[in-house]
Amino acid sequence: MRITAVLGMILGLGLAVPQCFAADRAPVRIGVMAPVTGEWASEGQDMVNVVRLLAEELNKNGGAGGRLIEIEVGDDGGDPKTAALAAQRLVSAGVAAVIGTYGSAVTEASQDIYADDDVLQIGTGSTSIRLTEKGLPLFFRTCPRDDDQGRVMARHIKALGFKKAALVHDNSSYARGLAEEVRALFDDQSVAVVFYDAITPGDRDYSTTLTKIKTLNPDLIIFTGYYPEAAMLLRQKKEMAWEVPMIGGDATNNLALVDIAGRESAKGYYFISPPGPSDLTGEMSEAFMAEYQARFKTLPSSVWAVMAGDAFKVLALAIENVDQPTGANLARYLHNDLKDFVGFTGPIAFNEKGDREGDVYRLYQVDAEGRFVLIP
Amino acid sequence: MEVFIQQLTNGLAVGGIYALIALGYTMVYGVLKLINFAHGDLFTLGAYLGFTILVSFGLGGRIGVGPAVALGVMLVMGLSALAGHIMERAAYRPLRKSGRLSAVVSALGVSIFLQNAIMLVWGAKGLAYPADLLPRFVIPIAGQPVPLLRLVVFLTSILVMVGLYAFINRSRVGMAIRASAIDQGAAKLMGIDVRQVIALVFMIGPALGGLAGLMVGVSYGQITFFMGQLYGLKAFTAAIIGGIGNIPGAMIGGLLLGLVEAFGAAYVSVAWKDAITFFVLILILVVRPTGLLPERVAEKL
Repeated sequence: MRITAVLGMILGLGLAVPQCFAADRAPVRIGVMAPVTGEWASEGQDMVNVVRLLAEELNKNGGAGGRLIEIEVGDDGGDPKTAALAAQRLVSAGVAAVIGTYGSAVTEASQDIYADDDVLQIGTGSTSIRLTEKGLPLFFRTCPRDDDQGRVMARHIKALGFKKAALVHDNSSYARGLAEEVRALFDDQSVAVVFYDAITPGDRDYSTTLTKIKTLNPDLIIFTGYYPEAAMLLRQKKEMAWEVPMIGGDATNNLALVDIAGRESAKGYYFISPPGPSDLTGEMSEAFMAEYQARFKTLPSSVWAVMAGDAFKVLALAIENVDQPTGANLARYLHNDLKDFVGFTGPIAFNEKGDREGDVYRLYQVDAEGRFVLIP
Repeated sequence: MEVFIQQLTNGLAVGGIYALIALGYTMVYGVLKLINFAHGDLFTLGAYLGFTILVSFGLGGRIGVGPAVALGVMLVMGLSALAGHIMERAAYRPLRKSGRLSAVVSALGVSIFLQNAIMLVWGAKGLAYPADLLPRFVIPIAGQPVPLLRLVVFLTSILVMVGLYAFINRSRVGMAIRASAIDQGAAKLMGIDVRQVIALVFMIGPALGGLAGLMVGVSYGQITFFMGQLYGLKAFTAAIIGGIGNIPGAMIGGLLLGLVEAFGAAYVSVAWKDAITFFVLILILVVRPTGLLPERVAEKL
């Protein structure tokens, strides 16, 4: 290394070619904390695939400002306890920044560990409000927040003309937060909430819950939890021959929903979400999706993995533009200097709390073929 | 009344599944005094084997739905029994002479092994039995539409349990199993091959667990490699409620647990369902520490 540097200095004398000494800069290690196993393994594996692919590409082209990026994966298993261990492992591996993770409760369990060690963290699928209300200077997220989502969901529910809703969550901090948000927005009685309760995620039989809800005769079921449970609710609702419409949040934006529920049952299901992988526009997104498709034979199954890609993109940019890639330096760059950057899911900038600015949520509906159709 | 009928059928279907799995716990405990912690994962294995046989091979499209399901049930039960047998030979038999604690640790090891093996073979993403695998019928009971499949699950589990009960109490092999449960030494002296009895118990239990897995897959659709944990825990609870080591007890415990869950969710709170369930467990154990039907030394199992 040193010889290259000396050679570079001699050869490049007067030419001042930045790449020459740039190649000498130490590599930067970035952690990806993702649920590679566990209930959300599908999300986690896609996250890792996206980030690995981007890192490979970047390193092939000389790295971020001459620094090669090393990716270190920490499996959080979709579980807060495992996440704390994964976070400690990543910190001891010497990462400068961490991308991830998916579930809000899981992210929350790792936040303080990273904060204590000056490691920057960019959440990718963690939309719970609390996460950025703690005033952690090194925490960012490329996903929007639940209160955005709650507002958009309430607006659409009113616009679609529903009057009497059953609100179901699963007691996770994400689902509960979103449910409370939506319920508060219906306090003016614009929509009556006739049922408000939680189901147990991981259960197989939700017909007891559905039977109970049916007696209250709502004209809409709002489920704020994740896709496996949403799919089971849809399927069992269909089996009861009950045709009430259902709407969900962005955690149900996963193609596995239709596999589990079956097209017949999923048809007509509404959900609020940032645009999905196949609806991303722009040259960069389309090119990357094509490359991902070529490598992994399928698109990422949800937008959250793409958000991990956005996190990687802004991190790479920050690393390129700071002298020393410490958490504090990177955070300063992301807070103050990141402007007009267009990521895979649209323009990205961060406010002082570390939240992403701008409105990204859209209304989707599942059509008869099981496709997710954007409703303008 | 509508809620009552619906929740009754919900509870009986879920309870039937719990009872089937609970039988595996209770039989092994009856003969070996061992809690087979890997039993829940054999249940998962059954669900995945069923998926491969019925969905991946598309058996229904080749030989018709009825024969496909019958063949699928037999294959799943047979293969689960085989898995149970291999597990007994590999993980429990070598430890027969060492303390009971080592066998429990070995059982936990098998559980972790099976879970991860299933994840690696079939993938970490959950699989889904297609919703149109079986034709869906709804039949009216007391004026309420009840999915036929739910009744089929319940009736199948009752049928299998009655069959098992008759087998244990009426056949010579059943007598050998009962004898081994009461006193292995005396059973050996009477010319009973206790090793074979144990091997048999470790085939019957997993076969029933595998059948339960298949039924959960077919009726609820989604299967995941960790689904055995929750079902295993619930079934274990059911076995304890009924009095572990007692076959009718496991059946009653399973059905009771299913009903408590359904009615707890219906009349108290959905979110408190599991809390209510385990509260009932504690209550029963306080009043009857050995369960509803404690194993009686004279006619264990």
